[in-house]
Amino acid sequence: MRHTPEVYACIYVRELPAQALLRLRPELHEKPCVILEGDPPTQTVCSLNTRARLLGLRRKMTKVEVETFEGVMVLERSLKTEAGVRTILLECAGGFSPRIEDLSVDGLFICVVDAAGTEALFGPPILLAKKVRQRLRSLGIIALVTVSVNVHTAVCLARGLSSAVPIHVVPPGEEAKALAPLPIMVLNITESQSEIFMTWGLRSVESIAALPEKALISRLGQDAKRILQLAQGKHPHLLQPIDVPFVLEEYAELDSPLDDLESLLFGLSTMLEQLIVRARSRVFALASVTITLRLDGGGSHERTVNPRVPTNEKRLWLKLLHLDLEAHPPNAAIVGVQLYAEPGATSKVQLGLFSPQLPEPGRLDVTLAKITAIVGEGNVGMAVLKDTRRPNDFHVEPFTITSAKPPSACISFPMGLRLLRPSERANVELRRGRPCEIYFRSRRYIAEQVYGPWLKGGDWWNESIWGHEQWDFVGKARDNAFLACRLSRDFILKGWQVEGLYD
Amino acid sequence: MPSSATIRVQVESALAQKFPSALTPATRMVRPVISSGIAAFDELVQGGMPVGAMTELVGESCSGRMSIALSFLSQVTAAEKVCAWVDASNSFNPTAAAAAGVDLRRLLWVRCGVSEVLSDQETRSFVLPSECFTPKPVMKGLHGGGHGTHPRNEVKGLSAAVGKFLNEETINARCAEPISKPRPIPQHFEPNLRSTSQSIRVSKRPRAYDSIEQALRSADLLVQAGGFSAIVLDFGEVAPEIVSRIELSTWHRYRVAAEQTQASILLLSPYACAKSSSELQLRLSPMEDTQEERTVFTGMRAHVEVLRHRFAQKNPGNVVSMRRPPQAAKEACWTHRASWVGHR
Repeated sequence: MRHTPEVYACIYVRELPAQALLRLRPELHEKPCVILEGDPPTQTVCSLNTRARLLGLRRKMTKVEVETFEGVMVLERSLKTEAGVRTILLECAGGFSPRIEDLSVDGLFICVVDAAGTEALFGPPILLAKKVRQRLRSLGIIALVTVSVNVHTAVCLARGLSSAVPIHVVPPGEEAKALAPLPIMVLNITESQSEIFMTWGLRSVESIAALPEKALISRLGQDAKRILQLAQGKHPHLLQPIDVPFVLEEYAELDSPLDDLESLLFGLSTMLEQLIVRARSRVFALASVTITLRLDGGGSHERTVNPRVPTNEKRLWLKLLHLDLEAHPPNAAIVGVQLYAEPGATSKVQLGLFSPQLPEPGRLDVTLAKITAIVGEGNVGMAVLKDTRRPNDFHVEPFTITSAKPPSACISFPMGLRLLRPSERANVELRRGRPCEIYFRSRRYIAEQVYGPWLKGGDWWNESIWGHEQWDFVGKARDNAFLACRLSRDFILKGWQVEGLYD
Repeated sequence: MPSSATIRVQVESALAQKFPSALTPATRMVRPVISSGIAAFDELVQGGMPVGAMTELVGESCSGRMSIALSFLSQVTAAEKVCAWVDASNSFNPTAAAAAGVDLRRLLWVRCGVSEVLSDQETRSFVLPSECFTPKPVMKGLHGGGHGTHPRNEVKGLSAAVGKFLNEETINARCAEPISKPRPIPQHFEPNLRSTSQSIRVSKRPRAYDSIEQALRSADLLVQAGGFSAIVLDFGEVAPEIVSRIELSTWHRYRVAAEQTQASILLLSPYACAKSSSELQLRLSPMEDTQEERTVFTGMRAHVEVLRHRFAQKNPGNVVSMRRPPQAAKEACWTHRASWVGHR
């Protein structure tokens, strides 16, 4: 059996608090932004973007110091958003290999991907690194990717790499050479150890790698062996893979309470785009999206949108969410938005030359949502009859395009009955127990033919008991107006009503 | 001798200046139609309802407009096509449609003008008061009924009873003085009808213009969306004076959209409102009872007249005949059967 050589890729994300908050806000990418943490008034900068760094801002600066700079966007650190982004990044890394390990520390995201055997899928390590970085870039995160046969070499190299060189692939056997020019801080040493090395005049990894092992251990203890192996790129590591569930979720907090739904759509657009990118990377489409709006005052408002077929069209999703939120608006200002999507299989429709022309699913969804906004919920769809003889006993279900065979038409020239909703009251005159004249819609109709009575009733076993005496009435008024209707006498309400007209 | 084709060409070329292509039959455009399922009706309108155009069924109540529409939809859904029913008066009957053979799964129903309100459902609950379930105390002694002591002992308390009968309270009452003792409140043991707290949706009759506007906007969206082979616009129960106020541009827009999406629009109305936008306009007279059975309503006889047929096929040739050409039938009759009547 051929032994697959070990290859590890390290994904290293700097300034995670800043990147997590700014990834869904493209309008802030061109502005200097700092993230503050801690309780007021002792808040300090914990993370910042490149523009802020170029402006002269540094970590650990206080809020007062930050305010001395002009045009700096100050944001509060959100641990919830960070945790969400961390999950997204891990899930993204999991798309390249099932064996990944999270080595993150506070404010940094470090993930090691076991890329052994993926060459057939993603090509040589340099291509793999590019693809990883490209995928992360599509998620709005800028990362450094290093590839090496040794895990610690990849991590140390990523730690010392400058942002100008985002990808570095270490050829097998050249780990020590790759680490040589880096400063000793990349070796994850304590401050006391760093001071000792400084007093010895050692500043680069190369100088530590050249030290004799026994002499170093005798001076620094057993940890010296680890440092030496790290410097030489030989420190072993047992990868402990983690399982990351595929959850399509995005969360964003708003700076100020928002009342306008139109403005919310801008934010939703970016969030939906991210969900679609993630679903598409796994060859999925979004089947349903649940939007949870966190409201001012502690409440929440949740709505779910289910189109007919799973789709990845952002405009369609935006329109459906917009129409749904317009029909069911939240009752308070919005302070936070969470989107949760269910993945579904991408729709495949086999069209045929001779198959009947049917509505396009995406367009039908939007059309039905628009019509629902016009006529109200529950008034658009397909009627489903209930198993009862009670008049008007049906319910309306959402319309779907079915492929089932239609029932065969049994009647050649069917007769239609137009129902009156609600049934209209009529004054009926009886002769020998049969209607002979009715007064309906300001006209008096003389009966020509009356058929009946037919007795209908049901639900006598519970409180919603109903019962009718039904007649088919055919008559004419004096002005020759014709009426063919279904008359009914309610046993419970003791009144005559016209249920419907034969039309 | 020259062949007939040569002679025809010669005659045609001779007459070319006055009558171009005099002997060549005019090209016929085959306009697609969908059968309505009623043979007499199809024969009258030359095949069925036109595709990509608007058909108007005009008539009063009980003239059979809905029956024709249901029959037409049953044919459309049988071909696995999708159709829509825009119900301006909320009077569509799904039970009748299903009985007519319409596949309800392929029919989009848009109910316009439904303003439902929650009202208490009037249900009947029979509740007896708890007093009915408490056993009556057993009376003993005089007039106590059964369960008493031996009849010989009944006289034992007679003196006491007489004394009680002649007590002060009773005598006072006889003297028409106010009785201080409160009268016992009569107890009702009648079963009562109580309305439970359950709420049901009750449809209220909406304003007519609201439902018309909703129907027109919905129909607009459906026609523009495409994919619906038939769209029925049901204004059957709307007053003619309201229907007549719909702008003509609306119908023109529908006609153009129907041409583009190849949908058949069927307009049921009491007044011919679409004017020239409808390709086929039919007037239905009030139906007549068939009176086939004395006890059971079996069906009605419908009568239809063609008011306008834009692309009706006329004399196939362009040669003007000396005789009067045969006139196409403009009226037809047939019988609609109720769903409970079998084949006859």
